[in-house]
Amino acid sequence: MVSKEEIRHLGQLSKLELTDQELGKYQSQIEEIITYLDVLDSLSLNEIEPTHSTKKFSELRKDCLKAFEGNALNVKYRKDGFIKGPRMA
Amino acid sequence: MANLVSLTSEQITLGIKNGDFSAEEYICQILYRIEKIDFKINAFITVDKKGALEKARLIDRKIRNGEQNIGPLAGVAVGIKDNICTNGLKTTCASKMLKDYVSPYDATSVKRLQESDAIVVGKLNLDEFAMGSTTEFSNNGPTHNPWNVDCVAGGSSGGSAASVAALECAISLGSDTGGSIRCPASFCSVVGLKPTYGSVSRYGLISYANSLEQIGPIGKTVSDVIMVMNAIAGKDDKDHTTLEWVPKYTLNPTKKNIRVGLVKELVEGADPAISKCIYYAMDMFSRLDFKCEETSMNSIRYSLPSYYTIAMAEASSNLARYDNIRYGFDLNPDGYEWNTYFSKVRSNFGQEVKRRIIIGSYVLSAGYYGKYYLKAQKLRSLLKKELKSLFKKYDILIAPTMPLLPFKIGDKIDDPLKMYLIDIDTVIANLSGIPAISIPAGFNNNLPIGLQIMANELQEQTLLDAALLFERATNIQRSPEL
Amino acid sequence: MVLTVNIGLEIHCQLTALQSKLFCSCYSDYRGKTPNNNVCPICSGLPGSLPLLNQRAVEHAGMVSLALGCKVPDKIMFYRKNYFYPDLPKNFQLTQYNSYGITSIGAEGKLDYDGSKKAIIRRVQLEEDPGRLVYENSDIDTNFYTLIDYNRAGVALIEIVTEPDFTDPKDVRIFLNKISSIVQHLGVCDTKLEGSVRCDANVSIGSKKKVEIKNVNSFKEVEKALAYEITRQKTMSTHDIEIKAETRHWDDLRKITKQARTKEAEQDYRYFPEPDIPTIVLGNEFLSLLKTNMPELPDERKIRFTTDYQLSEHVAQVLIDNKEVSDFFELAVNMYPSPKEIANWIVTDLLAFIDDSDQKRSIFSGLKIEAKHIADLAKLVDKNIINRSTAKMILRQIIKTGELPSQLARKTNASKIDDTGVISEAVESIFLREKSAVIDAKNNANAANFLLGKVMQLTKGRADPKIALNLITRKLTESN
Repeated sequence: MVSKEEIRHLGQLSKLELTDQELGKYQSQIEEIITYLDVLDSLSLNEIEPTHSTKKFSELRKDCLKAFEGNALNVKYRKDGFIKGPRMA
Repeated sequence: MANLVSLTSEQITLGIKNGDFSAEEYICQILYRIEKIDFKINAFITVDKKGALEKARLIDRKIRNGEQNIGPLAGVAVGIKDNICTNGLKTTCASKMLKDYVSPYDATSVKRLQESDAIVVGKLNLDEFAMGSTTEFSNNGPTHNPWNVDCVAGGSSGGSAASVAALECAISLGSDTGGSIRCPASFCSVVGLKPTYGSVSRYGLISYANSLEQIGPIGKTVSDVIMVMNAIAGKDDKDHTTLEWVPKYTLNPTKKNIRVGLVKELVEGADPAISKCIYYAMDMFSRLDFKCEETSMNSIRYSLPSYYTIAMAEASSNLARYDNIRYGFDLNPDGYEWNTYFSKVRSNFGQEVKRRIIIGSYVLSAGYYGKYYLKAQKLRSLLKKELKSLFKKYDILIAPTMPLLPFKIGDKIDDPLKMYLIDIDTVIANLSGIPAISIPAGFNNNLPIGLQIMANELQEQTLLDAALLFERATNIQRSPEL
Repeated sequence: MVLTVNIGLEIHCQLTALQSKLFCSCYSDYRGKTPNNNVCPICSGLPGSLPLLNQRAVEHAGMVSLALGCKVPDKIMFYRKNYFYPDLPKNFQLTQYNSYGITSIGAEGKLDYDGSKKAIIRRVQLEEDPGRLVYENSDIDTNFYTLIDYNRAGVALIEIVTEPDFTDPKDVRIFLNKISSIVQHLGVCDTKLEGSVRCDANVSIGSKKKVEIKNVNSFKEVEKALAYEITRQKTMSTHDIEIKAETRHWDDLRKITKQARTKEAEQDYRYFPEPDIPTIVLGNEFLSLLKTNMPELPDERKIRFTTDYQLSEHVAQVLIDNKEVSDFFELAVNMYPSPKEIANWIVTDLLAFIDDSDQKRSIFSGLKIEAKHIADLAKLVDKNIINRSTAKMILRQIIKTGELPSQLARKTNASKIDDTGVISEAVESIFLREKSAVIDAKNNANAANFLLGKVMQLTKGRADPKIALNLITRKLTESN
């Protein structure tokens, strides 16, 4: 059971504001999908380690300076070089 | 020379180097073809006529001047899925969120293709942020299947497969998270490879699910795929998850003694017309002196839920960065309160993307992490173990690529779960990281059927050998009349 | 009823000795640069970018872990902490997390401080700094927009988390000074750089709810903030007012804690392992590498000072509290091997001239003093060329002019007078001038000191005080 409220809250966590219409449509779909995912419950995998690839310390990036040649922040709304963002309340 | 558009990469580079035709002549035919028929297919989001012609002329100049450093893919027209970054050309991910975005850097795969003198002709349509199996979730409209324009081309790399089938480019790059290269390759009767995880750099691939996805090639033939892999695969310092190796694939049309395992569960779960085709393929292999037998996999019923749990979880986090502050589309933030601004811009995601972000947040939330995400990651270990023992007995595993034939556009779009179920055959390779290829295996009612071949990690050569032999023995049509 | 106080600390230190940021090759020092000029696709969070872990950052963080007595695990991992904020380019922070297994660079350590007090270190973790938000109007609510600078985004941080075992803000200050000294001695963090060290604290009294205090901009302020907060909570408790679990910000100007403006309530950060960074296998070579490269720690240095240089515990402690000071000391000793003398000059006299209210500059800034000056001064005193009080006067002068003490001594003819004849004359002179004091002195020892003082004054401090006092005493008894 995934309630509309839960979905609304999850939306807020992801900064997605869902309309009532969307909430109505998604609720049954999402519930169905999550019920499907619940099949994982029937597995008891206590002995197993989750998958993870490894890398040696010696293979890590060396601490060297290299400036990016290009404009990483091609943003229109600026002031004195700062990027303009919405206001904090 | 007429009809250069149906040439393979090998034929194109040879022809250009031999002086049979110029790169410019070839590219003009390609561009003309796109202009003429893409309105029917809708494979392209962006076409870079100017850039393509410039590069073609550059190559022609190099050849005229007798320069030695002509790349191995000289002149070959390549399309790039629009979730792979190209410096100077828009990369939109078929989403409103990035509709104006131009990346300031090239993806490593794109850079390596350019260094091989391939010619990027444009960016190809996909499901928004690669989330989908039919390319219907695109902000640019669906891509139509060249074999039957009322049907889906598959997804999420629909544009990549359809453009190759429709002879709008010789090769294309797609990305495969849960089948997104193989599915459209199967639906469009072309060859599509998802390489071993870590064999191709993901630098510049706009992330959907980073622990599952790989960039891979789509072409008309196995030799096309090999040529692209030799150009793009191999370790990249810009991607910590790439493996320490160098690609050196060859065409081996005389390989023998390959042991083949047919995955029973996957064949049985498919449309009867498809199962029939796959059994026929197994016969083909037997006639090639391969040892074939049926085999079984226990982890299959958990693979889809495991895949979607992980993919959605990673997606929900990967897509958080789209807040329109550093890139996106034009909306002045002046006056907006930040929560409002973020929510407003993010309402531009399509419905499928929103659904996945929500479910992804759900399975990662405190309290549910152990039940879903952790379990799913553990299942991957189990699956890998099972495949490891299978690959002691078999060199390759075969199965259908898709459990069903290409269906009409709009058929499954209102039932997300139904849509997810069609990935049943393909997600195993992503969860375990093994390579998998889809090659054309036949038709039913003029709708393509694909055979999927899987091999052990970094054993692409074996997989390609089998695919090549199958291709030569069956000679299935690669492009429809359009 | 005495309420127990529990304080836990979260200390952030930037790894300022690195060339580049934690996950990309942009410059690690963002200070004074044009906004948004020190960025790349990775630290701006551009689509398709991938994090590339800095090897030396892991090394430096490993040294800190060892210095704090932590266990360094065989394998480390990075996790995503997911939340939205305009200074966070990816809207998640790459950090480390131990709830699903110990995978941070250090865990379960302990550090002794202030003699025998023990602090338990819960963990040491590596993480990235966010960008900076700047407001045109100081009243945040009146801005139409926020200005963002990503130059700092991605800079490497280590976070040190302690168990909530501290009970006294004074102890916290001593502990923080030790941490400061350790990271200076390791050479991983220049604590003088602006913003290089920050400390958040959580405080609870009795077994009541924990209050987090953020926004404390220097280690010095932490003690004040804690003292304030403890008083606030105790007062509330006495009046039976409920103490809410919340986050409060330290207001530097008004010297109070106030409720955080943003609701940093129980956020669900949905931690999961970063798929783009594999598990890093450190292995035994890593630990041996660290132990080989590990610079001398403050405690080790202190032992060396007391053993090799025979300094007292107290003097040694003062020196090692600040690496600049102990480096200065050793440099001077190298020039003139008189450690006790030099140490005393530094600890007793030189440090008194220091204005350490501004921790961000060199501790000796404003003074024209180098190690060679103190070495020179010690030499003059040791060789009896000048006496101690002359030396003190000289020191006071040279910190303003930067002259060498021996130069100044020569100029002002400040050399010690130990010629009995000359001193006798001076004594005679004073006896003639200070007739009433002489009468007093015959009965009162203190008045003799007064006379000595006058002799010193007359000889401009150059007379050998022992000889002078001798002569005065003799003359007093003579005339009896």
